[in-house]
Amino acid sequence: MKIFNKIKYAVAISAMAVLTANATKVDEAIEKSFYPYKNGFPNVENIKPGLVITKDNVDIAKDVLDPEMIQHIKDGWVEITVDKSTDFILNNSYIEATKNNVGKVKLPEEKGNLQGGYIAGRPFPEEPQLDDPRAGEKLAWNFQFGYNWGDGAAIDPFYWRYRNMNSNKVERELKFDFHFLNWAHRVNHEPLPEINPNPSELFRSIYVHVEEPYDVKNTQLLIHRYQNDLKRDNAWLYLGFQRRVRRLATGQVTDSFLGSDLMIEDFEGYNGRISDMNWKYLGTKSMLLPFYNHNEQALTDEFKEKDGYKFVDFHGKGGCFPNVTYQLRKVYVLESSPIDSNHPISKRRHFVDAQTFTLPRTIIYDRAGKYWKSWMIGQAHPDHHLAINKGSGVSIDDSFGMMDVQAMHCTTGQFKGIVDPDLNEPKMFNVQYMRTSGK
Amino acid sequence: MKVRLHYFKNISVFKKKTALLGGALLLASTSSYANEPADISGFIENATSVREDRGLSKFRNTLQLEYSKNIGNFAGFNDVSINGTFRASYDGVYDLNDDEFGAKAGRAINIEDQNFGSVPHGQGLGSTNPDSPYFGAPLPPGHVLGVNITNNPNSGMIVLGENLHATNGGVAFGVPVRPCDVDSRGCINGYMDKTENELRFSEFNDNLDFIRELYMDASMDLDSGTLFNLKVGKQQIVWGRTDLFRVLDIINPVDFSRNNIYDELEDIRIPLWSIAAEWQYGANETFDDINLQLVWVFDEFRPNNLGQGGEPNAILDAGSFFRGFNNCWENGCTVANFAGGAAATDFGPGQIGIRHANVPSWSVDNTSYGFKIEGVYQDIGFSVNAFSYLSQLPSLRGGIEATNSFTGEKDVWPYLIAFDIEFPRINMFGGSLDFYSESIDSAFRVESAYTTGEEFANTLKPRLFSESDVFRWVLGVDKNIFIRSINANKAFLVSFQTFGQHILDHELEQSIGSDVGLPSFGFVGMPDWKDNYISTLLFKGWWLNDSLSPQILTAYDWRAKSGVIAPSIDWIKGNFRFTLTANIKFGDGAKEFSDCRTCNPFNPFTATPFHTAEGGASFDAGLGGFEPLGRFRAGPIGMANKESELQVTFRYSF
Repeated sequence: MKIFNKIKYAVAISAMAVLTANATKVDEAIEKSFYPYKNGFPNVENIKPGLVITKDNVDIAKDVLDPEMIQHIKDGWVEITVDKSTDFILNNSYIEATKNNVGKVKLPEEKGNLQGGYIAGRPFPEEPQLDDPRAGEKLAWNFQFGYNWGDGAAIDPFYWRYRNMNSNKVERELKFDFHFLNWAHRVNHEPLPEINPNPSELFRSIYVHVEEPYDVKNTQLLIHRYQNDLKRDNAWLYLGFQRRVRRLATGQVTDSFLGSDLMIEDFEGYNGRISDMNWKYLGTKSMLLPFYNHNEQALTDEFKEKDGYKFVDFHGKGGCFPNVTYQLRKVYVLESSPIDSNHPISKRRHFVDAQTFTLPRTIIYDRAGKYWKSWMIGQAHPDHHLAINKGSGVSIDDSFGMMDVQAMHCTTGQFKGIVDPDLNEPKMFNVQYMRTSGK
Repeated sequence: MKVRLHYFKNISVFKKKTALLGGALLLASTSSYANEPADISGFIENATSVREDRGLSKFRNTLQLEYSKNIGNFAGFNDVSINGTFRASYDGVYDLNDDEFGAKAGRAINIEDQNFGSVPHGQGLGSTNPDSPYFGAPLPPGHVLGVNITNNPNSGMIVLGENLHATNGGVAFGVPVRPCDVDSRGCINGYMDKTENELRFSEFNDNLDFIRELYMDASMDLDSGTLFNLKVGKQQIVWGRTDLFRVLDIINPVDFSRNNIYDELEDIRIPLWSIAAEWQYGANETFDDINLQLVWVFDEFRPNNLGQGGEPNAILDAGSFFRGFNNCWENGCTVANFAGGAAATDFGPGQIGIRHANVPSWSVDNTSYGFKIEGVYQDIGFSVNAFSYLSQLPSLRGGIEATNSFTGEKDVWPYLIAFDIEFPRINMFGGSLDFYSESIDSAFRVESAYTTGEEFANTLKPRLFSESDVFRWVLGVDKNIFIRSINANKAFLVSFQTFGQHILDHELEQSIGSDVGLPSFGFVGMPDWKDNYISTLLFKGWWLNDSLSPQILTAYDWRAKSGVIAPSIDWIKGNFRFTLTANIKFGDGAKEFSDCRTCNPFNPFTATPFHTAEGGASFDAGLGGFEPLGRFRAGPIGMANKESELQVTFRYSF
């Protein structure tokens, strides 16, 4: 009997040890996922703060920039200034949600929803493995359920410029306000984790309002994404000159949005369902990405704001490149290719920032597989931006440049991102709001 | 300045009160609450059109200013704003092509006569002019035939329908076409009586239409979580989900004189002083979104502007018919092929025609009101609508007292073509849906409405009209299609719509004349089709970052067998916008229907053998032609069959 008890205790102790070891492993994975620079920032030979990468020295950066950007620098389209790397630690509530829910979800057998009842946080904090055929999908889910704009935020104003890269002329300027709201999987602002009632089980909504110019003034766009990833987004467009809301056919999310070089699907790097793409993880690298402190950049005061806020400036070929500093970041290289054979692109190559799971750099290839578009989204640290953003733990989308290198045309975006739930009340994200506020 | 003083002098007390309300709104926007700067934008535009056979038909120059100012929180409301749209335009067509559309338009006309080919206006049967071929023709003693040629001279006129069709054995009469201050004949007081300046400067009228919109918009967060929104002032209130067709979009009347049916409704709705109160409940356990809107239009009644006789754009050419026919009533007129279906006949004043328009004056009973419940259920957007309003289209009601042309006796004569224009109350119940079909990657839009109280011409009725319930619907489908060989990166929009109308109490029958095979005798009853369908197809593409957008818009009226195809190209460069459109009509054009020449209102003088055989009863035996009722069969597209145009618009926005 004594022997039996000894064996029992030994098994129990062993099991506890395994569990503890596993728990430690998971904790370490989460720690590594959110604090990848705890033991130091990436160190790459010759890539130091203050370095200006030009066509004359670009070869030293061939391992830390994508080939397309290398070519642009070689062609003299842009020069990149390197600054020191900084920590972009996401909001603690999101990290805590990750800890509380880790291991509860897994990928579906095929395309579809996460199994196990996803609540909040980063669903797959573990390091991706090249031998995991579904690692890409996990990264995509981490982006989809990323902290992105937090539970909700606004970009107001948001200036877009359409530029001719050959003539260097700005052809058109649009002034927007954008609003984002997470209906579910919320971690920070009450109610948590979901806004109720939510009868259609929405996950996230984006509301866009055009303020200028006159011919598209009062155009509004509303996108509803559902918690069910197999359900198509619903999108509505309010046309000011018609005073009507039109339901959009899905095809229109892969069309040029208001004549820009972006499609709706490009918003935030990728704005669509995970199940619309095949995802492939291609490896982990240290790369230069446009992460910076907004207040320390060469800003422009061409747009006047009452609070004195200044916007990121642009430079380079056609004025298509955000004039911001880059820093070395840990990056997951992720490729997405559309399942729909009629999709206008063949693939996107995303350079996913491992700490924030934002998509600051994406290369887009046309249906023939040729390089088509260069997508840059500058990420600003929230503690060096508007005062209201300080401590928000949101990596703030702060500038963008989308270059169509085939048409030699680009669209640039200058943001005033504001992480303030009061600017993104649920009432804004319904169809009737568009009608009421339209005109 | 002279113009402005004139208009302010003539505006009604109600309009003055509403203008004061507008002034108060503007004043509020400059109050101490108004710390935010005003948002002012707008455009200047020139729209020029050239029409086949007529030359310049539009040279309209427009300045439009849009004003919006937030005045913060006020009286418990949040985000209170004052919004205004002000529009001033000058159409130079009345100066540059004044012999077609202005003070020199029209001429001396001849009226078709089966006996003599034609006779000059005022020289038909009953004329006392020795030059008339009918001079001295035997007529009943005591007859009062004869045009008052002093008041109604043969000048400044066209023959009704001449721009679309020959008289061709039907009826016709002269239509004065000069502005009403130049020639007041046929101008219907308070309805179709625009002066030359009112035509030139269409917003500067008794209704102060240069204030296109001026309203307060305010919201209040209620304790229940509901958002309450209130809009008060002169405004457009838009219902429905379809383009071009007005099944639910009926709150504001429409100005068809601007460009017939082809301008955006946004530009041709006639804004009205009204209140729209909306409770936005948001999501609940069942609906993703649910809202209730109550609407009260407290403005003076305003009908659709159909365009008056002599204007370049007059939908259905109704304005010409009304003007010519009012002139008949006021002064008498020569009617083609009338007596015996052959003789151009000079009717005297007060015998046939349109006596006047009873445009309802302001009273609470004459205001309009309704509600809309709108929401989203799962993936379906929906609305339920109800609205009670006065008809924006005129109804011609016979049965008025008139003079017997052959005896001089005054009485109410059944089946006599003598009318007053009325605007009856209509009740509309309807709804709409929109949804997306993933399987065919298309968005669908549906609208339907059931109305009671509408009135239609009906030659089977003694007063020549009858009431009917009407069911209307529109089905629209939008699909984006890639044609990569001509545009690799941007899909084309294909939008197809079909509008249907079913008149429930429709009456139509073969006439007694057609039963025995008489030529030119056909159907009698209601000229409107019992069931009719109009389809539209839009094919639109975009190039050069949407700055260049060609499109082809087509519309086809299936029963009228008439259509229009309008290819256009739109080019935006900075603040400039250039649009070139060809508006090409095709198809049958004019249609025929009974014209009530053989209705025998003045028995026995107007009796045919059919009527005599029935003891001298009055009824429509069925002789017809293009005018006047064929227009209801030809529809707005068919009636504009000879109005193909080339249209150019330049706009500078700021």
